[in-house]
This record gives sequence, C-alpha cells and structure tokens, in this order.
Amino acid sequence: MFPVWEVPNTGSGWIIGLTAILHVFISHFAIGGGAFLAFTEQLAYKKQDDRIYDYLKKHTKFFLLLTTVLGAVSGVGIWWAIGLASPNGTQTLLQNFSLFWAVEYVFFAVELAILMAYYYTWDKVDRKTHLKLAWMYIGVSYFTLFAINGILTFMLTSGGWNYQAGNIGDAFFNPGFWPALGLRSFIMLALAGIFALFTISRLKGMDDVKAYMLKYSAKWMLPALILGPLFVVSYLFVLPDATQQVIINGLSSIGEGNFSVMAKAIFLALTFAVGLFGMVLVGPYLNPKAFNTSFAAMCLAAGFGFMFMEEWSREMMRKPFVVYNYMYSNGLRTHEIDKVNNDGYFNYNKFALAEKTTLASSDEVGEGQLMFRYQCTSCHTATGNGYRSMTRMLGERDEDAIKNLITLMKDNHKIDPETGLAKTMYHGYMPPVVGHQDELDALAKYLVTLNTKPDTETSVAAAQVVPGV
Amino acid sequence: MAAPLTDNKFIQPIIDWLDERVPLTEAIKFAGKKEVPVHKHSFWYYMGGIAMLFLGIQFVTGFLLMFHYVASFEEAYASVQRINMEVPFGWLIRSMHSWGANLFVLVLFIHMFSTYFMKAYRSPREFTWLSGLGLLGIAMLFGFTGYMLPLDEIAYFATKVGVDVAGEAPFVGPYVANFVLGSGNIGLDNGALVAGTGAIGQVTVNRFFALHVIALPLAMIGLAGLHMMLIQLQGISEPESIQKLPQKEKKYEKFFPDFIIKDVFIWIAVTVGFLMIVTMSPWHLGPPADPAAAAPLGIRPEWYFLSQFQALKLFPSHMLFFEGVHVAMVAIGATMASLVVVPILDSTGKNQFISKFATVYGIIFLIGWIILTIWGWVS
Repeated sequence: MFPVWEVPNTGSGWIIGLTAILHVFISHFAIGGGAFLAFTEQLAYKKQDDRIYDYLKKHTKFFLLLTTVLGAVSGVGIWWAIGLASPNGTQTLLQNFSLFWAVEYVFFAVELAILMAYYYTWDKVDRKTHLKLAWMYIGVSYFTLFAINGILTFMLTSGGWNYQAGNIGDAFFNPGFWPALGLRSFIMLALAGIFALFTISRLKGMDDVKAYMLKYSAKWMLPALILGPLFVVSYLFVLPDATQQVIINGLSSIGEGNFSVMAKAIFLALTFAVGLFGMVLVGPYLNPKAFNTSFAAMCLAAGFGFMFMEEWSREMMRKPFVVYNYMYSNGLRTHEIDKVNNDGYFNYNKFALAEKTTLASSDEVGEGQLMFRYQCTSCHTATGNGYRSMTRMLGERDEDAIKNLITLMKDNHKIDPETGLAKTMYHGYMPPVVGHQDELDALAKYLVTLNTKPDTETSVAAAQVVPGV
Repeated sequence: MAAPLTDNKFIQPIIDWLDERVPLTEAIKFAGKKEVPVHKHSFWYYMGGIAMLFLGIQFVTGFLLMFHYVASFEEAYASVQRINMEVPFGWLIRSMHSWGANLFVLVLFIHMFSTYFMKAYRSPREFTWLSGLGLLGIAMLFGFTGYMLPLDEIAYFATKVGVDVAGEAPFVGPYVANFVLGSGNIGLDNGALVAGTGAIGQVTVNRFFALHVIALPLAMIGLAGLHMMLIQLQGISEPESIQKLPQKEKKYEKFFPDFIIKDVFIWIAVTVGFLMIVTMSPWHLGPPADPAAAAPLGIRPEWYFLSQFQALKLFPSHMLFFEGVHVAMVAIGATMASLVVVPILDSTGKNQFISKFATVYGIIFLIGWIILTIWGWVS
C-alpha cells in the first residue's frame, strides 16, 4: 500500500479523469491525424495538386504542435495523476505490462522522430519519399494505440488472466481488446476529420480547394457512422456480467428519471455523436462555402463532448475496480479481503499505521479519519458540496445508522449462494469496507462528524420583501 | 410548368406533383432571391432562429405534458410527480419544458438587445420591433403562468409574491388580483377596490392553465407570425456601420438554402448543448405547496422578473404623498415603456443626437438590468 493523495472538492479521480480525457482526445487525433496526412498527401500526389500540398503543410504544423506539446504534456500528466491517485493500480499495470510499456515507449519516441522528419522535410525531399514518411508514421503511431488498448481494456475485461499464473498474453489480448481497438480506430478517423475541418476553415483565399477539402474531411466521419455502432454493441457483449447489469439497470430506469450517472453519460455520448454527425452533414458537407472557423470550433467542441462522455462512461463501467475482479479503486485486492478483516486494516496498510502512531490512543475520531482517508478518498470527498461528499451521502444518519451501514457494506463483494444475488445494493458500485470491528467503529465515529446535522431552524415566515406588500 | 429545381429523376417528379397543388417552386425561388447581409455582426442574426427553436420545443413538450398534467389544485403536484417518476421519459420532457422556458426568455432578451444596438428598430421596421417586444412580454407571461402549475412550495409562494406585487399596481392591481385569485377575494376598503386576503387556489390554477395553454399560445402564434412576415417583407436589417459601406464592399448570402442550412447547424449545436444541461441537471421538483405553512426564506420570482423585483425593494415605503410601491411601479412601467418610446424617437436615424442618446440609453438600460438581476439573485 501507498500513502493517499487527498484532493478537496473534486476528489483525485477527477484530476485523472480530466487529464486523461484531454489526452485521449489529442492522442486519438495524433493517430487518426497521421492517417489523414498520409491519405491526403496520397490524394495530392495522385492529383498533383499543389493547393492540397499547401494546405497539408499548414495542417502539419498545427498537427505537430498540438500533438507533441499538448498531447505529450497531458500524457505525462496522466502518469503523474495516476501515480498519486492510484499508486497500487499503477504498480499493477507496470509490473504486468513492463514489456508492453517499454515497446510502446520506443514506438512513441520513433513516432515523434518521424513526425519531426515529416514536418521538416516538406519541399526538401521528393514527394514520393515524403509520402513514405507519412505511411511510416501511420504504422508506428497505430502500434502505440495497439499497445495501450490492450492495457486499458485489461483493466475492465481481464478475461482469463490470473495474478498467480501471470499469463500476460491472456491479459493483453483480453475479450475487450478487438472491439475496443475497432471502436477507437473509427473514433480517431472521425477526430482527424473534425480537426481538419478546423484547419481548413482557417484557410484564406483558397475558396475552391477549401470547399473540396471540407467535403473530403467531412467524409472521414463515415466509418464511425456506419461501423461504429457495431463495435459498440460487440464491446457491450464482452463486458463483465455485473457491468452489463449496471448498464441495463441504469438505462432501463432512464425513463423513470432514477437513472444512474453512467446512463446519463451514455445518453449524452449518443447525443453528442448524433449531433456531431448532423452538424457535419449540414455544415461542411452540404454547405461548405458558408462553413467558417466558428462552426468548425463547434464541431470540435461536440467531438470533445462525445469523447468526454464516452471515456467517462467507460471509467464508470469499471467501478468499483481499478482492475476488474482483482483490485478495487481504493487499492484493496480482492483476494486480501478476508486477511485484512482478520488482521485489521492498520496491520495491512503500513502507511496508515505510521500515521496512526502519531495519534493519541484515545483518539477514535482521528483513527476513523485515517480509515476514511485510506479506504474512501479515492472516490469520496469529506464535506460540503464536493464530489460524492460524505456530508451529502450520509444525510442525517446518526452514529447507529452509520454503523449499520458500515456493517452492511462489509459484504459489498459477496453473492448470496442460495439466491445467486448480490448481498447488498452496493455490490458493483462500491468496494467492501474492511477492518477489525473496533476500526470500523472508529470510522463510524469519524463519519458522524461529517453527516448533515438535523435542521434545528424553525421555519420563519417570509418577511415583507417589498414596500407596502 | 416551372423550370425543374433538380436533375434528380426521383425527387423532381415529387416536386412536380407538389407544384400542381402548392406553389412550391415559386416559394423556393422567392426564398432564394432573399439575401442576408454577411458581416462581422452576422452572428446575432441566429438569435431569432434559436428563439424559434425554443418556441418549437416549448410547444411540443408542453403538448406532451398536457397528456399527464392534471389542472387541479389538489392533484397538480401529484401529477407532476408522476410525470417525473413514472411516465416514460416524463422527467426529460418536463425538464426540457422548464429549462426551455428559461432559455427561450434568455434568447429573446439577447435578441432584443442585439437588434436594439444594431438599430434594427428604425423605419420601416417599427412594427417588427414592437411585435418583438410583445413576444417577449408574452414569453414572460408564459413563464409566470407556467411556473406555478406544478404547485410545489417554491412555485406557490413565488407566485403569491408575484400576485401580491401585481395587486399593488395603481388602478389595475386589484383587478389583476381579482382575476388571479377569483372574485371571492376582492373587496371594498373605504370605498376603494382592493385585493382580498384569499390564497391562490383552484381558481388560480384554472385561469393560469387556460392562459398558459390556450390564450398565450394563440397570442404567441399570431404575433410571431406577424413578426416573421414583417421580416420576410422588409428583409433583414443591416447595422449602421454596414449600411454606410459602398455597395461593392457589402457581402450577402442567399437566405435559402445558405442561411437556412447554417441556421439548422446552429439549431443542432444548441439542441446538443440544451440536452446536456437538461440531462445533467434535471429540473427540480420541490416539496408540495402547503398554503397553511409559512413561506420559505429567500423566496423570489423567476430570474427574468428579478430586476423589477429588486427595483421594488429599493424604494422606501412612502415618498411624499404617495405609497413607495406605487411610485416604484410607475417608475418600472415608465422604464419598460422607454423601450417603445426611445426607438420611436430614433426611428428615422437622421438626428445624430437622438441616435447617440438611444445607444447610450440602451447601454445604461442593459447594465442596469444586469446589475439589478444579479443583485436580486444574491440578495
């Protein structure tokens, strides 16, 4: 176990989330945009059209700056954020996929080198050779997606992997690998088209080629429109049963207004996708002459909105795990639950124990606060209107009610052998609360300091707010 | 027969068939002749279209809500609760209707101020301006009548405050109160007609509902029709700075299909943003109204009435020989009337002093409106 990183108001999860979503948006463009460069340069070569070449040179500069600066910085940002917010999860991924990370890193470095060469050799090497650089870039950059995709999908659909056997091939080529790879491939092509719409819309004095290129770029949405839904469905089929159930429960209750945050995110991902296709159809495709940078920025915003909702819903599907059925979001490993319950949480987590030794022996609230920090703050904030704040979650529950809740939540991971159903309603949403009974009582004592205190104010008649009324 | 519109052998026969019954080709050609100015302020031209989009959303969602809403003082709240919790996607429809009402009024305000500052009220467009003001007034009345219909706590007491305020208006106040509360709630006090002490009840629900679903929609359709007809007849106005340009420096685009397609693009973008707001923050339904209970603290009307509400609070109880509230209401009425008077004074645009005064007055009006609205919100 590692120390915790407590982030007030937003929680550490959102720091990872926002950094990751920005990175995913840029990095998908980095790969799809490479394909765009290659195919468009091929088109320019075939047509021997200097105007397309002129546009491509401008687009390459934008592509290079955005992907190597913002893409690389946000990528480093993810490592920084996950290392702090989920050190156990990061450790697991590093240990299991060392080879893949190393290879991915090498390919990433090569990808950057080719891109630099591609940009700086415009008009310096012959057109055929330059085109070859573009095709090389596609191959190398796509491999980085290939590698990351295996690791990302492993976290949700770990398939036949077992931590004792360490069968890394099964972990990498897990059931979610191919559907996710297909889906991401179409998304990155669509994003390449959307970013191109933006750069084309900024061209000045090239009206005829501008209209042609806008229509051409709009067509990059088509693979995602036609084949994307098939891969979404195939991806849903390989998800763990419990995740499928959470999705079904969320979507089936969407009509009654009780739907989950995940159902909201899925609904909005669909809304953004449909909206984006509509905007691209009536904008650059049907009316390219009137398509300007403001419209292109709106398309980009819709694309980002889709990516945000798609990644957010994917993260929520994995809840409450970092690695499905192996490690919970708070770093607790599934096979260690009984051991922790027997030995006590502070004997399991040495960092928590070290902090506990600084407390007075009678400080139960302080001990409970440590339990909360180490077991809960990866998903909850403590007070106020923070993300999933305990003040809001606990409502007006008193200490007895909180103790009952904790007792119930000790069984979050269990399935009733007789009925085959989950033992608690939090199964699939939250990890079990673990520790000795006295540690759990201390947690309750701390949580009761966070609850919403029953309203002691009596209703006050409305004062006269306007003169004479 | 008119010249074919398209080479498509499947679509043209359909157009021909329609042409024999309605002048479709003529209408399309007429729309194609119409031109929209293209300049750096063109963005504001989309506001009218966005307002139309929200009006459409209000009509469709309002129509769907009527399938389940019960206009009864006793049952209204439960019916809205059913819409939220039991009717398939009822929460979405209700949330779209409530959010849509607010955004509709917001867009109308933006549309009003943008046309004001582009001097689009000038001759020959005075009636377009006045009909637009009328549409904004109707939209606010829509909001006021619709806000009460769920009969939750906030809606009930906010309406009560609104009715109390309206009841204090000189001369007409008691009649307004009488209309809203029913004739049983009006009486004579020293020979003067005054609002009674009666509470909002079934009579109020009946009348607000009738206004909300019959009278106001008809008025809205009629006035919006007139407004759009005038725009079609007179064309879209150009800001002063563009009018001054030599003809060869001016740019135009065809209303159909170029501007319409851009309008559709904006509608799609706005709808996506709208659905995001509606989904992430569904419209709240508070506890049921209890007329016997004390009003909750901090009760206030909808945001678009806050500037007037805050202005009322700034006046003292008595001013010389007059009740402060009466003076306040006259002052507020005069300020609203200025939106009619100032454009009429500046309708020719020939008097530079009046033209500049109209611009400065508009800026002061806008800033004052924003400050009072924010002040009303935070106080």
